[in-house]
Amino acid sequence: MSDIEPAGAPTGEGGEGRASAAARLAVLHRAGGIVTPLITVLVAFLVGGLVVVGTTGKNPLTTYRAIFDGSGLNWLLPWETCSDPCTAALNFQQTLIIWIPLVLTGLAVAFAFRCGLFNIGGQGQYLVGAIMAVWVGSSFQGLTPVLHILLAVVAASVSGALYGGIAGLLKATVGAHEVITTIMLNWIAVWVGIFLFGLGGPLQNDAQPWVPVSNDVAESAKLNVFWGDPILQGLHIGLFVALGFLVVFWVMLNRTTLGYEVRAVGFNPEAARYGGISVSRNYFLAMAIAGLFAGLAGSLDILGWQYRLNVNDIQVSTIGFTGIAVALLGRNTAIGTGLAAMLFAALVTGTSTRNLDPEIFRPELASNLTLLIQGLVVLFVGADVLILYIWSLRRKARLGRAAPG
Amino acid sequence: MEIFLARLPRGARGVAWLGVLLGIVAAWVMTPPVMLRSPVVPMVVGAVAVSLGVFAFTRGVRRLGAGAAVFGLLGAGLGLLTTQSGEAHLESVVVWSALFAAMLRYATPLIFASIGGMFSERSGVVNIGLEGMMLMGCFFAIWGADRTGSWAGGVAIAALAGGLLALVHAFFAIHLRADQIVGGTAVNFLALGITGYLFIDIYKDTGTPSDIARIPDVHLSFLKDWYFVGPIVGQLNLMIWVGLATIFIAWIVMFKTPVGLRIRSVGEHPRAAETVGISVYKTRYAAVTLSGVLAATGGAYLSIGFVGSFNQNMTAGRGFIALAALIFGKWRPFGAAAAAILFGFSSALADRLPVYSESGAVLFRSLPYALTLIAVAGVIGRSVPPAAIGKPYVKQ
Amino acid sequence: MSEPAVLEMRGIVKRFPGILANDNVSFDLKQGEVHALLGENGAGKSTLMNVLYGLYHPDEGEIRIGGKPVQIGSPRAAIESGVGMVHQHFMLIPVMTVAENIVLATEPRTKGIFLDYAAAEKRVNELSERFGLAVGARDLVEDITVGMQQRVEILKALYRGADILILDEPTAVLTPQEAKELFEIIRSLTAQGKSIIFISHKLKEVLEIADRITVLRRGVRVETLAAEGATEAGLARLMVGREVLLRVDKQPAVPGDPLLQVESLHVVDDRGIEKVRGVSFEVRAGEILGIAGVDGNGQTELIDALTGLRRSESGHVVVGGKEHRNPTPREMLDSGQGHIPEDRQRRGLVLDFTLAENIALHDYCYPPDSRWGWLYPRRLVTRAARLLKEFDVRGGTPQTRASSLSGGNQQKVIVAREVSRDPRVLIAAQPTRGLDVGAIEFVHRRLVEERNEGRAILLVSLELDEILSLSDRIFVIYEGEIVAEFAPGVSEEEVGVAMTGGGRREAAA
Repeated sequence: MSDIEPAGAPTGEGGEGRASAAARLAVLHRAGGIVTPLITVLVAFLVGGLVVVGTTGKNPLTTYRAIFDGSGLNWLLPWETCSDPCTAALNFQQTLIIWIPLVLTGLAVAFAFRCGLFNIGGQGQYLVGAIMAVWVGSSFQGLTPVLHILLAVVAASVSGALYGGIAGLLKATVGAHEVITTIMLNWIAVWVGIFLFGLGGPLQNDAQPWVPVSNDVAESAKLNVFWGDPILQGLHIGLFVALGFLVVFWVMLNRTTLGYEVRAVGFNPEAARYGGISVSRNYFLAMAIAGLFAGLAGSLDILGWQYRLNVNDIQVSTIGFTGIAVALLGRNTAIGTGLAAMLFAALVTGTSTRNLDPEIFRPELASNLTLLIQGLVVLFVGADVLILYIWSLRRKARLGRAAPG
Repeated sequence: MEIFLARLPRGARGVAWLGVLLGIVAAWVMTPPVMLRSPVVPMVVGAVAVSLGVFAFTRGVRRLGAGAAVFGLLGAGLGLLTTQSGEAHLESVVVWSALFAAMLRYATPLIFASIGGMFSERSGVVNIGLEGMMLMGCFFAIWGADRTGSWAGGVAIAALAGGLLALVHAFFAIHLRADQIVGGTAVNFLALGITGYLFIDIYKDTGTPSDIARIPDVHLSFLKDWYFVGPIVGQLNLMIWVGLATIFIAWIVMFKTPVGLRIRSVGEHPRAAETVGISVYKTRYAAVTLSGVLAATGGAYLSIGFVGSFNQNMTAGRGFIALAALIFGKWRPFGAAAAAILFGFSSALADRLPVYSESGAVLFRSLPYALTLIAVAGVIGRSVPPAAIGKPYVKQ
Repeated sequence: MSEPAVLEMRGIVKRFPGILANDNVSFDLKQGEVHALLGENGAGKSTLMNVLYGLYHPDEGEIRIGGKPVQIGSPRAAIESGVGMVHQHFMLIPVMTVAENIVLATEPRTKGIFLDYAAAEKRVNELSERFGLAVGARDLVEDITVGMQQRVEILKALYRGADILILDEPTAVLTPQEAKELFEIIRSLTAQGKSIIFISHKLKEVLEIADRITVLRRGVRVETLAAEGATEAGLARLMVGREVLLRVDKQPAVPGDPLLQVESLHVVDDRGIEKVRGVSFEVRAGEILGIAGVDGNGQTELIDALTGLRRSESGHVVVGGKEHRNPTPREMLDSGQGHIPEDRQRRGLVLDFTLAENIALHDYCYPPDSRWGWLYPRRLVTRAARLLKEFDVRGGTPQTRASSLSGGNQQKVIVAREVSRDPRVLIAAQPTRGLDVGAIEFVHRRLVEERNEGRAILLVSLELDEILSLSDRIFVIYEGEIVAEFAPGVSEEEVGVAMTGGGRREAAA
């Protein structure tokens, strides 16, 4: 005879109606887990398309096609030919350049999420890494490139880790909610950055005292470009670093004891404690590692193509926030984050002023459209129960009478 | 008077609070109008404060004792700092009446948002989206005032916009039982996108109208000449008064009416509330929508009462500071308002500090955020949230 | 006792996915009677009453109150029809007062919008006197005893005019003394014309208080009979459908050296209240020490301190020859202690982990599972496969998520994990909570086997039957102190008396 607890339901409270639909969802998840994110993206784009129609009266499909072309993803399609110089290739390089930091900030959010922490501080951690990278990159002369780059990247990653670790430490010791602490840290990083590189600031450009910008990164610290024209911002070797860290992310989570602990704490902190795991230590480590990813992203951007940090850049940068949408869409997995980052990077490039024909859609509007789509993605992802809801509606329709849930 | 005396903290707790007070005094006596100049004063007073704090700490009053020691050190430090500054500078920065007036102006959007957040969270729904709802209020107040030609129209439309966005958050959190923090973050993204999109679409080329109908100030002419109080209170914006009134109304509603009792019951033990016939869903929907309306009203004040225009992302994290104020204030209206006023004070002070250093002034802009960080790290006791907060309710 | 049926439930059918909770059940209640609803865990008693109270909608069937058919779509409708329910897990809001809890949703008002606290208190006191239910209207619910909380729940129902009262496992949280008081209250209520449905799985109580008894088994009504003339054994047979083994077969213990020693342990709970007051005892190899007590007398805090999950104010624990003061859970695990926790889903398992990962929960950081921080998932799987087979765990492979297993099998996984670590000391807290009979038999048998292997077993349980049947020595804990020691074979009454603090005897040194 079966006992009182239906498998998988929350203890006690009669979640029976949820149990089997949740079981089906779990099957979907495990079956590559791609169905829900796919549906989410489709719905988000659908709504975005409605917005386009509603406000500008233009055909959303042409807009989306233009964005697609602008992103350079069409370069991947084997049936499209390319003239010389190939704009699609250029666009794709741009997309990849954005993909590099985006996948890393996405991983920064994803890793923390696996430990049950919501890291909204990717932006601040990214900035801290960028600041450190630009400082190390511009301060030392005459170093060999390998050493200089290594120094800058390591310094940036460590600072990012420490910055993320602050929030982790606060959570671990006094239980301060990481959402608020990381957001506050974001703003503090922004203002400190503006102070450092603003007019009269301690790290402001020595040669141009009327421009609020940092010193330029030395040649020895710049990352090599391996595809495209370096003068026109080609794709730099940071790509391999990002890919490498994607693998590192997966390996850390699934093949190390640290990853085991992080996942256990993320799923059930009480049971983790019972198992002998130190929950506070893992909170700190998870946030620190997350900060490391984001700080690394900052350094790759600086050393790869920005070469300097402008006060304006600090104020308008949102790559840390986009990382949140990326991680959520990618279900906090390595592959998912990689693919989601590609989607959003394509959106950013495709809607940029350079690539989007204002006749089809005004670029400034398009960037806000991207924000909208991002918001919708996060909204629906946070509610994968949406799928459950639709599922249960279908069941109701089929069975023709009230079902639980 | 007896009641007041009876409610004063006693024993070690009283000692600790005295320490906190002395820490504040250590800095205060160095500022105008008293403006003592000897560095000995803040050090001595601060030292006394620290020792009182340590005393309380050893008697078991740990958090407050530590807080008193911190205040003592801070007060001594700030007092010492003032001796480094010229008297003229001090006098231009620390004009208490102007500071307090600015404090109220900065605090009002926070007050509205945190009271709104109180209703939502007391009913059990975490509302991280206050920032987005406030931003909606900022933009739609300008747009509404532009269209209707009146500030009241602006405020009304702003409130409506905030309420609608809150409804989205409510639907996902309550009906779809989504993670409420992720949902709130999504709402913030949406607000950024919607307001940014519409702002550029409608106003990009010209910016928002400079002659937009502003929320009027309330002139209390009979007060204007009162010493000290006059400059602060004599000419405050209408919304500031509305905000202060809202605190009182919120307190009455939450603790003196059946409506408040039911909201609190839903946030503490929704199953129990359901079994006596209260609709958990309806209550939460109402509370969350109200929080959106209030947050948007705060945003409306920000754009058409305080600043006079709209910029993308002009809320700059205020919604989160309001949330921190709520937690700081233990989910009670007066506590949250007090915290909001404290944060407002830090913004007001940061405004005036540039007289010391132009580039350094930028650093001072991070003061409210740093203060929030410290507050959330738990300087004054650990707040206990409503028991069922954040947990989606499953109807049977 | 008068004749007309005040409540009739006919042909109630209620389905949940995968379970037929109520299969064409009919039930009636006469005015002024106490009608017990008896059955095992999962028999469908609570479901039936939740249908009556409007928390569930029946798939088929009808309900008549006072002869008239009614549709009960919500608790509100149930209340309006005169039905009140006192749940097993109290539906009270801890941070609010007694009066606030009682008047919630039907608050008296002044001037239309304000809550009239004075009127609420007055009404509460009136009802309290009339029905003999002593409560303090201004007390906060979190500060009062469990017995008083129950009275508040009953008052809640009476305040709303309930004539039919459903009591769901009311004595589960009461001391024997409080249970006696409850029975008096019940008698007083029926004397005033109220009718009571008494849900329970405890045979003795049901025989004592009920006029009639309806037995449910697996969603079906087996029989309705008069309490007079019924026997425990007869009822048990109806409940389970076969002869029930009420005691486990075991050899007498051959205890050896003490493997667990507790010295003057003082533990404080989250709110700063001392819950364990100077407890000292030892558990020897090859014996089962059972600690009996009513919930809330310090058992949870004691186990938490012994396993390192909570700090102790003073005192220490000796395991494996080493003295531990305020250890971390890792320390205690490494010193040879095993722990079967009382809440398997919250503490014992990470439900989203696979069975292999769960089995590795303590030892993942040691070879062979890992080396220098590098994990070997395949070794986890091999070990898990072996254990799952040995312990006959059904419902999954090592790669299955723990959440898909039934409670009994989940508990088996936990037992397998703890036992396979070869602990010197095994602490079992509520090891059979929520399990069906088959799983209970398994756990009991296994515990005795481990005892015979020479382990020291500390058994803490709220089920007196379990303690009496398994233990070689029996302690009673009351208000944080060990107040009595008994040998097996002691009567339930004697232990019950000690559990309520009466007749304190020599506590074990």
